[in-house]
Amino acid sequence: MTSYYAQLLVNGIIAGSIYAMFAVGLAMVYGVFKFINFSHGELITWGAYLTWMFSSSPFSLPVYISVVPALLITVGIGLAQDRFVYRPLRQSNPIAILIASIGLSYMLRNGIRLCWGSDLQTFDLPLSTGILLSGIYITKIQILMVLSALLFFSILYFLLTCTLLGKSLRAVSDNIELSAIMGINMTKVTWTIWVLASVFAGTGGILLALDTSLDPMMGMNSLIKAFAAVLLGGAGNVWGALIGGLFIGIAENISVAFISPDYKDFISYGLIFLLLLFKPRGFFGIAGGVR
Amino acid sequence: MKKFIFSSITVLFLISTGSVMAEEISVGSVTPLTGKLAVYGEGFQQAMLLAADEINAAGGIKGNNLKIVFEDNNSTSKGSVSALRKLITIDKLPLIFGPASSSNFLAVCPIAQDNKTILLAAESAAAAITKCGSYVFRVFPSDLLQGVGVAELTSSLGYKEVVLTYVNNDWGVGLAEVFKAEFTASGGKIIDELPHGEGKTDYRSEILRMKRHNPKAIVNLTYIKEGATILKQAYETGLNVQWLMGSASKSPKLIDLAGKASEGVIGTYPTFSQETPQYKTFKAGWEKKYPGKKTPVFGEYNYDMVKLTALALESAASDSSDDIRAALIKVSQGYIGTTGDKSFDESGDVNASYGRWTIKDGSITDYK
Repeated sequence: MTSYYAQLLVNGIIAGSIYAMFAVGLAMVYGVFKFINFSHGELITWGAYLTWMFSSSPFSLPVYISVVPALLITVGIGLAQDRFVYRPLRQSNPIAILIASIGLSYMLRNGIRLCWGSDLQTFDLPLSTGILLSGIYITKIQILMVLSALLFFSILYFLLTCTLLGKSLRAVSDNIELSAIMGINMTKVTWTIWVLASVFAGTGGILLALDTSLDPMMGMNSLIKAFAAVLLGGAGNVWGALIGGLFIGIAENISVAFISPDYKDFISYGLIFLLLLFKPRGFFGIAGGVR
Repeated sequence: MKKFIFSSITVLFLISTGSVMAEEISVGSVTPLTGKLAVYGEGFQQAMLLAADEINAAGGIKGNNLKIVFEDNNSTSKGSVSALRKLITIDKLPLIFGPASSSNFLAVCPIAQDNKTILLAAESAAAAITKCGSYVFRVFPSDLLQGVGVAELTSSLGYKEVVLTYVNNDWGVGLAEVFKAEFTASGGKIIDELPHGEGKTDYRSEILRMKRHNPKAIVNLTYIKEGATILKQAYETGLNVQWLMGSASKSPKLIDLAGKASEGVIGTYPTFSQETPQYKTFKAGWEKKYPGKKTPVFGEYNYDMVKLTALALESAASDSSDDIRAALIKVSQGYIGTTGDKSFDESGDVNASYGRWTIKDGSITDYK
């Protein structure tokens, strides 16, 4: 029976590392630009669908190669979001930006439907039984998910703490006007944020699709989990997003031992509700700022 | 001149409708001729027309020709409602063949019931249709029967204890209730039952809970996509059991999506014999009228529906819907059509016989 709970914990860590990958971009965009990007979920979906497109005919590339053009295009979409929608709206009412991001999310999601239809799609990977480690099953893709999250967050840590770009990014999130006056290159910082958000979301989406399957709603469903993670960690806090993501993943999966699995999404929704009521600034208590 | 043309058109119209009323008995049909179900709708229409032609060639109904007034519903619930309203209020027809797809059918059945118009279904399976009302009938077996079918399958394969999982919607819950009642009554035991959400991509938590009980067999009442995802993820997590399923997952798409994880699944599906004289007559008639065309999906049910309607119209005391309804129930008792026994029970449903399917070497075959 211990293996049952151990398996639940492992499932939680796997799910949590992917939620964290989704949450970090959301947290960074909020940290600097101070708005919730609803179309963040669509970067997840596009990353996954583009990889799927390049790996099936007529391209028929191996999956690990199709990831490259797919992520490049996803980054392009992320940058285009900023260039054509968010930058022109930067000085306007926050509600306008929020509505624009919701509109953008619909547009990008229906773009997926238009290109590939609403039907469920899967990567044509050979099916195999997972690896059995002391009573716990884990598939190769799931190992890859956890490793990717580790690698990406390590790179992010290095970038934010050891490079000038990372330092300027943190400075900008502290005070955008003052940073500009101090001569920090705003374009470069903006680009970095969108590239990071897109790469994290896109990669997470690809891994999620490899593990399960693709459908146009996958980004939207994951976005709710990412919201909960960001709220838990404190908006704008990158490390909070990581811990928040893991916490939600684990809590959700452990809950399965007590409530019907079909209602496990209840955990993240319930958490969003409680946090907004009692701890709107998250458990790390930092409002804004990429830390 | 304009006036002349207009009045002559009016006169022609009056003459033509007049003559129609003298020689034809009309019934309505809400059929998907455009939209996403149009590929099926054309086949339904052809099967209905084949039956009508045969009836008319054999002398019609009380000497009058049977005419089916088709109204397109654009394959939507909204379109079905306006099509049905037109047939009831403008054409004033006492009997109408309802639209395909259970959700479209359920959208119109309260309207028919309220207007005391007889509504017949030839391809809608949802259990909820049983409760539509006294004016609603169907020649297609209800999903509820499948619950019984799967319970019989489970017992006959010798499984006394099973885990039950079902898709968490009206259809799945209803089906599971029937299965449970039937299976436990026959001495079976359900170790654990859990619903699974529709359209999810990750069922690992559900699978883990199923696995916890080390079952020999799992009854999985679900659709194609959900079924395939569960089979696949169960395979990955090393859950090795006999899967028992219904007819809603019987599709080559299940094999496409789940691959070798679908191997060995056993299920039930409503079926009818293609060896009966009734079926052979239908088949011969079809090949004569539509040479070179394959018989359409549910074509046999549409054909039976029209044939049964003609019998009811023939024996009805008047053309009021109440008389037709009484006649319909009466003539259906013991009526053997192309698709088997079409005797309506008190809720307007028919019985069905079930076949068994399995997946062997990557294709669906009959289980023996």
